[in-house]
Amino acid sequence: MTQLAGARAGVPLIDGIDKVTGRARYTADLDHRGALVGRILRSPCSHAQILRLDVERARRLPGVVAILTGEDCRVPYGVLPIAMNEYPLARGKVRYRGEPVAAVAAIDAETAALALSLIELEVHELPAYYEADQARAADAVRIHDDKPGNLEREVHHSFGDVAAGFATADLVRETVIDCAEVNHAQIEPHAALAEFDPSTGRLTMQSVSQVTFYLHMMLARCLEMDESRIRVIKPFVGGGFGARVEVLNFELVTAMLARTAGGKVAMELTREETFITHRARPQTRIRMKLGLGRDGRLRACECEVVQRGGAYAGYGVITILYAGSLLHGLYDLPAVRYDGYRVYANLPPCGAMRGHGSVDTRHAFELLLDRMARELGLDPFEVRRRNLLHAPTRTLNELAINSYGLAECLDRVEAASGWRTRRGRLPRGKGLGMACSHYVSGAAKPIHWTGEPHAVVNVKVDWDGSVTAFTGAADIGQGSSTMVAIAVAETLGLPIEQVRVIAADSATTPKDNGAYSSRITFMVGNAAIDAARRLRTLLTEAAARRLERDPADIDCTDGRFRSLSAADQGISFTDAVKAALVDQGTLTVKGTFTCPPEAQGGKHRGGAVGSTMGFSYAAQVVEVSVDEDTGRVSVDRVWVALDCGFAINPLAVRGQIEGAVWMGMGQALMEETRYLNGMPAHASLLEYRMPTSLDSPPIDAMIVESIDPNGPFGAKEASEGALASFAPALAAAIADAIGVDLDVLPATPDRVLDAVIARRRRERLDALAGGRR
Amino acid sequence: MTAPLPLPRLRLIRPTTVEAAIAARADCPQHEFLAGGTDLLVNMRRGLLAPPALIDITGIAELGEMRTTGDRTRIGALVPLARLAEDPVIADRHAALQAAAASIAAPGHRRLGTVGGNLCLQTRCIYFNQSAWWRAANGACLKSGGEVCHVAPEGTRCHAAFSGDLAPALIALDADIEVARPGGRRRVACADLYHEEGRAHLRLAADEIVTAIEVPATATRSGYLKERVRRSFDFPLAGVAIACRIEGERLSALRIGVTGTNSRPLLIDGTDALLGHRVDESLLTAAEKLVAKQVRPMRTTLFPSNHRRSIAAALTRRLLGTLAAPETAAVRGPSTEGP
Amino acid sequence: MFEPDPIPGKRLLRIRLNGRWREDAVADDQLLVDYLRETAGLTGTKTGCDGGECGACTVLVDDDPVPSCLTLAVRCEGRSVETIEGLGAGGRLHRLQRAFHEKLGAQCGFCTPGMIMAAEGLLRRCPDPSEAQIRAALAGNLCRCTGYVKIVESVRAAVQAGT
Repeated sequence: MTQLAGARAGVPLIDGIDKVTGRARYTADLDHRGALVGRILRSPCSHAQILRLDVERARRLPGVVAILTGEDCRVPYGVLPIAMNEYPLARGKVRYRGEPVAAVAAIDAETAALALSLIELEVHELPAYYEADQARAADAVRIHDDKPGNLEREVHHSFGDVAAGFATADLVRETVIDCAEVNHAQIEPHAALAEFDPSTGRLTMQSVSQVTFYLHMMLARCLEMDESRIRVIKPFVGGGFGARVEVLNFELVTAMLARTAGGKVAMELTREETFITHRARPQTRIRMKLGLGRDGRLRACECEVVQRGGAYAGYGVITILYAGSLLHGLYDLPAVRYDGYRVYANLPPCGAMRGHGSVDTRHAFELLLDRMARELGLDPFEVRRRNLLHAPTRTLNELAINSYGLAECLDRVEAASGWRTRRGRLPRGKGLGMACSHYVSGAAKPIHWTGEPHAVVNVKVDWDGSVTAFTGAADIGQGSSTMVAIAVAETLGLPIEQVRVIAADSATTPKDNGAYSSRITFMVGNAAIDAARRLRTLLTEAAARRLERDPADIDCTDGRFRSLSAADQGISFTDAVKAALVDQGTLTVKGTFTCPPEAQGGKHRGGAVGSTMGFSYAAQVVEVSVDEDTGRVSVDRVWVALDCGFAINPLAVRGQIEGAVWMGMGQALMEETRYLNGMPAHASLLEYRMPTSLDSPPIDAMIVESIDPNGPFGAKEASEGALASFAPALAAAIADAIGVDLDVLPATPDRVLDAVIARRRRERLDALAGGRR
Repeated sequence: MTAPLPLPRLRLIRPTTVEAAIAARADCPQHEFLAGGTDLLVNMRRGLLAPPALIDITGIAELGEMRTTGDRTRIGALVPLARLAEDPVIADRHAALQAAAASIAAPGHRRLGTVGGNLCLQTRCIYFNQSAWWRAANGACLKSGGEVCHVAPEGTRCHAAFSGDLAPALIALDADIEVARPGGRRRVACADLYHEEGRAHLRLAADEIVTAIEVPATATRSGYLKERVRRSFDFPLAGVAIACRIEGERLSALRIGVTGTNSRPLLIDGTDALLGHRVDESLLTAAEKLVAKQVRPMRTTLFPSNHRRSIAAALTRRLLGTLAAPETAAVRGPSTEGP
Repeated sequence: MFEPDPIPGKRLLRIRLNGRWREDAVADDQLLVDYLRETAGLTGTKTGCDGGECGACTVLVDDDPVPSCLTLAVRCEGRSVETIEGLGAGGRLHRLQRAFHEKLGAQCGFCTPGMIMAAEGLLRRCPDPSEAQIRAALAGNLCRCTGYVKIVESVRAAVQAGT
């Protein structure tokens, strides 16, 4: 063992130096010489028929090179093969304010802006719906002709005997929780750079994507081009969190402009446009009902979720399925009924965001469980402990669970936070709360089923002894390329410095499904190990030949191939490579990973969503101070433990846990995207309030290693699982601090103040009632 | 150039005297004075205004001076907010002013932003501080040249809210503002620099410019508290400055300035009625009520008006209670940038 | 192809950029961030917002960290401007760069240059800051990846590493 042995602090990111020196080139930093400037005209209306879209004046403006409208977009796109209902530029109808309707490429930004102002749009406005219940009303106009009731998808799942479960429960409670829509708000605004060479018919696309393969496929589809004529390269990407896990309209538009112009087009969106592009967590209403025994055992769960999904499908079907399927897998639940409704509305389309689908329902579940524990006089930790799973097992909805470290997570945060001695003993206005969460390590069934492996990694070794791993996996800051380097180096017994990683360039790297559902460590990690093992076998055989020993007698550690039986017999890694190259030349080996069918979920409709090779588990304790006069909630400290199987890079794992907890805090405390008649009201980093350094607490991140039997070195995911437990832990802490139960997120000062006022009114009424008795 | 949202084409005029600056403005009232630029340049990039030229006043040496004479501190309009926040003399003599300066935006804005700029800060509204696309799609509001205020469509005025932090502190501290105009200078009490009209909240003629503030250092206790969702870089839900004097355990002077709730910073009326009393529960309640009655927050932000009123009242109670405690004389802001 | 008219009203800007004097013809309306990225080719300084809201463009002007998107380039006449590319010398990492790398102060890296410049401004004024001072000094620089935990650790590590 090289990197993974002993007390491991972890390793810095292999591309870290580029980032700290400013050398890292993000999309907007690429060579823009000779590039035309792309700009998008956006709909001023929420819902309207396009009567006339006249681009002739704009076309005649000197300096305008290409101009496109929906008429030029013949093929719809969308991330799910079953729900492609969006065009790069609106065709016939606009469905939200800010939807792209036309695009120009011009010699400079000023000309492009002027051209947009010369485009004439005439519409017939239709009724617009900004809330799910309006959109679902019986007399509502359809946003999409094929979707009556403006329902994108409804889900009805029932497992176990729910009625019997509630009948045997000692306490049954039901609550309605509202969670605001939030946004990824990665710091890098959206951008794309496309170059079309008319002489060869080739398109080169560089973009902020997390899913370069999907982008490649969707470019071919929407531009009606041969896939082989397209090259997609991922530059440095300034965060994603799900914002870029589906192909986005501006990417397609940029490529179409480049082809029409026959050249290079640079598109940089404003922060406002980046927000409007959206694809984040929807506004969600959850009706949660739980049945609990006096013994703390969960007896039944009934959950109804309504998500306001925005104007197009995107990942919506998956989001509403995740919201139900991930009710399972955290605790031992004997009966679960789930009803989910994904609703269209005339707002920017929602999509996947860190903790995809699970966050808001987990919040409602944990928060209700906390309240019920209180009612029964049970400690919140104890209630969780009485409902633990035991791996290996399968949930009611056929999710496989092969490793489960939640019990240890609970122990760790309980001890670290001083829960037993401090809870209930803090001064008024201060409180402690806890909650748990989990997340998948990669969706076990890919979105585009082709029969290919789930991940492929190539490893090349050449005459100079250098090892290069080629992966299509998109490193967007999470450190996936570093993970690949460690996996390969470790397997070959080399220091990490000897391994180079080339990532996400379709001309050189194998196809990869991309950075979503926390799949890379598990799937790409396993594929990288597989490739490195194959290479090790070849090198071992070569070393054995050179040493005239049996390959079984050769061990590969610390950069040498040694005989096990004769310790003095050995050759260096480079000499082994040279031996292996004889008669063969440069070696390239391929490793793959495939999720077995039994890991791919139940046979019921939508049963694949939520299925995974391994769940991460998290428990956290949040300490708050609440100001009852102003409604301000301050998070003083967080203790969090995450079971990530095995921490391949503990430094990066801690970074991911801290980031996930903090992002959960933003959503819980202050982030939201509201609309004023469909106009975005939070489309800036001023109005979209993500916490600053002064709002952010110390986070004590602890790693629990359950060692998953199938994970690479036993690893599972580390970047999403800890997010969803923040908000319910915060709500529990607020309840502990000031005796107020919040039914809404985020816990902004006005909402907390409302709840305080309601509590005071209740207390007055109770006092009056008491006086009368 | 490919970056979105460039500034509109403009010319920079760089006078070196106050007289030349005023003359440039008199030439063309559409020109805007540029100091720190933290408000103006952002607004220009959003297309909220497009002056043909900016009169860059940062070359006027006189405006950058700060000095104490006798019991008054004179602070030039170009003194950076960071300097006010970090100056020990200001913290000692005019705590409310130091606290207000330290609470503004984020460190970079305080370094660029100036006293004059913060006093002349544009009023803000959720319907106004938006991109050109946004405002056009939504229908221009009164402040951006339209016919109707989206906050109060039945009214005739603009309700955009003033959110500067220095003004309430200067109002509480009874400071004067020095204004230069052709032919001389005039002085005005800070509260009188403003109108209750979001479109034209400054009582300044086109050819006038704020040149300095003068703060009396009477022996008062003072402080500033503001509430906002984030602790940095967020506009106030409400901000309250108080300057008071306590003699023999009784209140002998009290001035309260409030920001974030109206189109102008408010001097709270009726505080004289509280003089001569001990600062006890009933006095704090009375002070709180005075503020709650006089502030007029409208839906210029997404935060409900009644909460902004409650917060202004709660901050008043808290600040006055703290200032009246025997052991405190001031509520200062954190010293943010070093020892 | 159509060529736009030359931009009127450019003036000669003389600044000391990362320690070296240079002169460029610059339009009055050019923002410092665009001058750095487009004229000087220093793309380490990032644009993350529509003006003054994220801190990703923070550079040092005469040792003071300021958002370069709120600064007109021509107003830096005769002044010293330092960007992320100017830190470190002779191919060696500056202590903040090394600390941000080793302590994972940078994940996606997009806020990193601005964050490091804000931290450098702090350390020049205040060589041994407390955690509260570090957090206050970075309060205008948004990071979406780290929760600021490892950013604060990185700045402390840089302090401990000395100059």
